[in-house]
Amino acid sequence: MDLSQYAELFLAESREHLSACNQLLLEWERSPANLAPVGGLFRAVHTVKGMAATMGYARVTDVAHRAENLLDLLRRGGRPATDELLQLLFRARDALEQAVELSVVGREDEIDVAEVVADLDGAAAQLGPHPLAPSPPSGEGERGGEVPPVGAGRLVQVTLRAEAPLKGGRALLVIKKAQAIGPVHAVTPSESAFEADEFDGRFSFRIGGTAGTAEIERGVRAAGDVEHVTVGGEERRPGTGAGAAPSAAPETKSRHIRVDLGRLDRLMDLIGELVTVRGRLNELAASARDPAIDDVAIQVSRLSRELQDEIIQARMTPVWQVFDRFPRLVRDLARELGKQVAFRVEGKEIELDRAILDELGDPLLHLLRNAVDHGIESPAERRRRGKQPEGEIVLAAVRERASVAISVRDDGRGIDRQKVLERARRDGVVDPHAEALTDDQLLRVLARPGFSTAEAVTSVSGRGVGIDVAVTRIRVLGGSIEIRSVEGKGTTFVMRLPVTLAIVRALIAGVGAERYALPLTYVAETVEFGVQATTIVEGREAIVLRDRVVPLVHLRRLLGVSGDAPTRCPIIVLEMGERTSGVVVDGMLGQQEIVVKGFDAPQGTLPVFSGATIMGDGVPALILDAGGLL
Amino acid sequence: MSHTVLVCDDAIFMRTMISDILAQAGFEVVGEAETGSQAVEKYRQLKPDLVTMDIVMPDMGGIDAVRAIVKDDPDAKILMCSAMGQQALVVEAIQAGAKDFVVKPFQPSRVLEAVQRVLG
Repeated sequence: MDLSQYAELFLAESREHLSACNQLLLEWERSPANLAPVGGLFRAVHTVKGMAATMGYARVTDVAHRAENLLDLLRRGGRPATDELLQLLFRARDALEQAVELSVVGREDEIDVAEVVADLDGAAAQLGPHPLAPSPPSGEGERGGEVPPVGAGRLVQVTLRAEAPLKGGRALLVIKKAQAIGPVHAVTPSESAFEADEFDGRFSFRIGGTAGTAEIERGVRAAGDVEHVTVGGEERRPGTGAGAAPSAAPETKSRHIRVDLGRLDRLMDLIGELVTVRGRLNELAASARDPAIDDVAIQVSRLSRELQDEIIQARMTPVWQVFDRFPRLVRDLARELGKQVAFRVEGKEIELDRAILDELGDPLLHLLRNAVDHGIESPAERRRRGKQPEGEIVLAAVRERASVAISVRDDGRGIDRQKVLERARRDGVVDPHAEALTDDQLLRVLARPGFSTAEAVTSVSGRGVGIDVAVTRIRVLGGSIEIRSVEGKGTTFVMRLPVTLAIVRALIAGVGAERYALPLTYVAETVEFGVQATTIVEGREAIVLRDRVVPLVHLRRLLGVSGDAPTRCPIIVLEMGERTSGVVVDGMLGQQEIVVKGFDAPQGTLPVFSGATIMGDGVPALILDAGGLL
Repeated sequence: MSHTVLVCDDAIFMRTMISDILAQAGFEVVGEAETGSQAVEKYRQLKPDLVTMDIVMPDMGGIDAVRAIVKDDPDAKILMCSAMGQQALVVEAIQAGAKDFVVKPFQPSRVLEAVQRVLG
């Protein structure tokens, strides 16, 4: 049978179980005396073993089998976790993960599991021999009162096929079959021996009643895997097996199917093009002024919108799929660095477009590393500062309007603004006379490639790579990142991301002869320029909107478009968390759905574009990046 | 008319594989269960001709599910799906009323043989 079709499913499900193993091990580590996680661990490893054996992945099966064995002993023995044991189980889990990943791509040979297998076996041996599962007492007495005297009835001797698995179970089935023919007694060895792994498949019993030899033999063979049967001393040659498969009627039914992610992306692209064509159709319908064409255009719009919603829904993925690997990572880092960290994850069920979620792993990893390495102090230092020796890091996802905010918060030492300021002055990033850094300036300095104030560069982070990587990645995704840091209290990074990347509603603004799209995700409102009195705040032109200072960005100037803007023109007010900015454009051309196309900006392009789109009339337009305009 | 089957296993992988093997042999997989208690409930609803039952499942294990199903329907035809090294559990399952068992890794021919024995 062709197993390759199951490899993808095997991988997905194994990953899920191994991720669960991490959570369970962490849970067990937190409260070693509570054995509740062990049952879950045992089941997860057991499931992986069964799947791997079916796929023929010997190494995965081997490691899983030894780990399962150890877990079974732990589960039954009721022993609390020791640090040594937990380390071993973490190692075994990691080895399993590696073996699973390599096996699926046909590189199983590259992984060496000998050491972890030996350690698992060693640990299991220390815990004592494998106890047998408790099972109800069995014996002839149990099966009704009419036990014939020993010796009565015909002696039946059975040998099971050498290759038969779990011979004890098979032997018991033989006994059950025989019982349907006549009263059975004098089972040798006794049924309790069937439960032992050493049972070799040879056994005998006596059967009463009136059944003939042929009937008894047929009955015994019906249990399957029977090599020899001798009834009443008269030996029978093994007959041909009757176990032919029923004729195959290839009528396969399935209610759910698995879809390649690439196919989902392609579908999204196609819908995107459909949305573009729909825009064109709407424009044509508007100019044709024909009610019949209008009707069709409205129907096409409705149907394509439904289609689009369905596809976007199919792409939505809960954030735990990325978050779930972090508890383990934070734990390992904290151990390595001698820190005590309680790590909490909130909002695991919040959903994001798969494409965005896939890109989030690295930035989050950088931020979490920074939090453990630079944020959280050593237990001794924390005590000196009157804090709990155990620091706290929270990774949280929260849904906000059309975006999702993901934050990494630590209660560590906070960023030393003075140090950053000195460095920023030296590098000429801020005015040499600047007295303090705002949070925004702080982020801008930190996000400079290669920036670092860490005195000691550790292996973990501290080379400054990290924040710039995170900031760039988030910006490419059409999101924003902000920082809040209080010395001695901790640092929080908040990333805001659109829920989906592919199709967004946008304001279309005109500047000169060009059109630009501004995703509505971060548009708070639009106001008229000219009506509002402009003022100068911190050297920047701004308007005051309901007591809030909104700095202005003149798109015409920014893009180097010559000529003057109309005297009265709209301002698009952008809002991202606590930051706002007003973008001055020539005119507003309405709202529409745009399909975001990836866009490799040529070197030197202003960092204010996040992509491009094709308008209804087939002319491309650039998409403005709200993050870059703030 | 083809026989109806209820497939019980906590791994989608295993359920898919068993379902495929059975469906290709002309059986109709009418339901799937991920836990023992789901298996018991679905058995009551669907009254399938055959049940394939994993031993280790969360919530309620396969053996307890066999007990519960057989208590309701002593003629229930349940085929245990076991892994190597589960001798004692298989014995327990048969004592509880399971009619036969197959051992992972599954070979389609052996699964179908066992199914024939159970239904025959």
